[in-house]
Amino acid sequence: MNMKMLILVFTLRLFSGTAQAQTKYFTKTGQISFHSKSAMENIEAMNNKVVSVLDIATGQIEFSVLMKGFEFERALMQEHFNENYVESDKYPKAVFKGIIEIKEAISLTTDMSATVKVNGYLTIHGVTNPINTTALITVKKNVLSASAGFVITLADYKISIPSVVSEKINKQVTITVGIPAYQPLAR
Amino acid sequence: MDNRWWWIYQLISSNQENKVRVSKKNIVIIALLIIIAAASAYGYKEYNRKPADIAGIAPTAKVSAAIIAGLYDSDEAKANKLYLGKTIQVTGAIAEIINQQDTLVNVLIGDSNSLHKVSCLLAHAYNNEIKQYTIGKPITIKGICTGFLMDVELNRCVIVAVSQP
Repeated sequence: MNMKMLILVFTLRLFSGTAQAQTKYFTKTGQISFHSKSAMENIEAMNNKVVSVLDIATGQIEFSVLMKGFEFERALMQEHFNENYVESDKYPKAVFKGIIEIKEAISLTTDMSATVKVNGYLTIHGVTNPINTTALITVKKNVLSASAGFVITLADYKISIPSVVSEKINKQVTITVGIPAYQPLAR
Repeated sequence: MDNRWWWIYQLISSNQENKVRVSKKNIVIIALLIIIAAASAYGYKEYNRKPADIAGIAPTAKVSAAIIAGLYDSDEAKANKLYLGKTIQVTGAIAEIINQQDTLVNVLIGDSNSLHKVSCLLAHAYNNEIKQYTIGKPITIKGICTGFLMDVELNRCVIVAVSQP
């Protein structure tokens, strides 16, 4: 196939893509929080600026979040989190890429609520691990929202806890994801 | 007078009376107690320290929304070295205000045609002030730069100035 043909084919595919119905949705204001309980103290933080893209036709879903955007109750905890634990100067982002299993078609015009399987890969602190969990997808009054939760083990992401406090800090962290509203992705 | 101080005063004054026997030992004990008290007071204060109010922090850089967004778009690593984790002051036109139930208010500043803008999550104290401003109004906002996703992200933002009509 010569070059012109290739370009033609790609152009046609591009156009057929735009002709299809809107299937891609995004948000810039998703929320991710995490917490871990331990004898010494509870650690909690919240990030309100999660970027996520969801394709309701293919089920492809992505999340990006900035590590420095996690806000803690205590400044010292936030500094330790960034400097000693996740090293956010070196690894500023966490990313999740995965697929949600869509069994019934999602349409913004039909109210629905479904628990779906999510399989994908999460990268934190430069280390990638598989994540398998479930998510709740909801359409209510033309608003598409989603939520999920799962537990990670710090050691899986090579996040080391200083030995002085290692007995007192929970090595597992519960992560909660909430997308209040996905918006259609304008082309 | 506080009981403790009275006790310390007594200890010191009694030392002066019989200097030879106890003075050295007591001075060491008092010194240790003061050091321990100071250290624990510092530790307690440090542990309970709240994240700093940006309003009182001088920005390490002043930049226009278009310039910082362009820099992040072209060389994210370089831009991070300059701005990541720092308090910066950004000026640009209000492109969009995303208000989530009055609790989380994001102000996007920059050229409305540009793909990448500067997204400022306001400190709660400014959630009401922003309501009086309309899209297109030039604004200066100060906040902590947390990096770059679709936009340059600023957290805990305070409104520094709004151009007068």
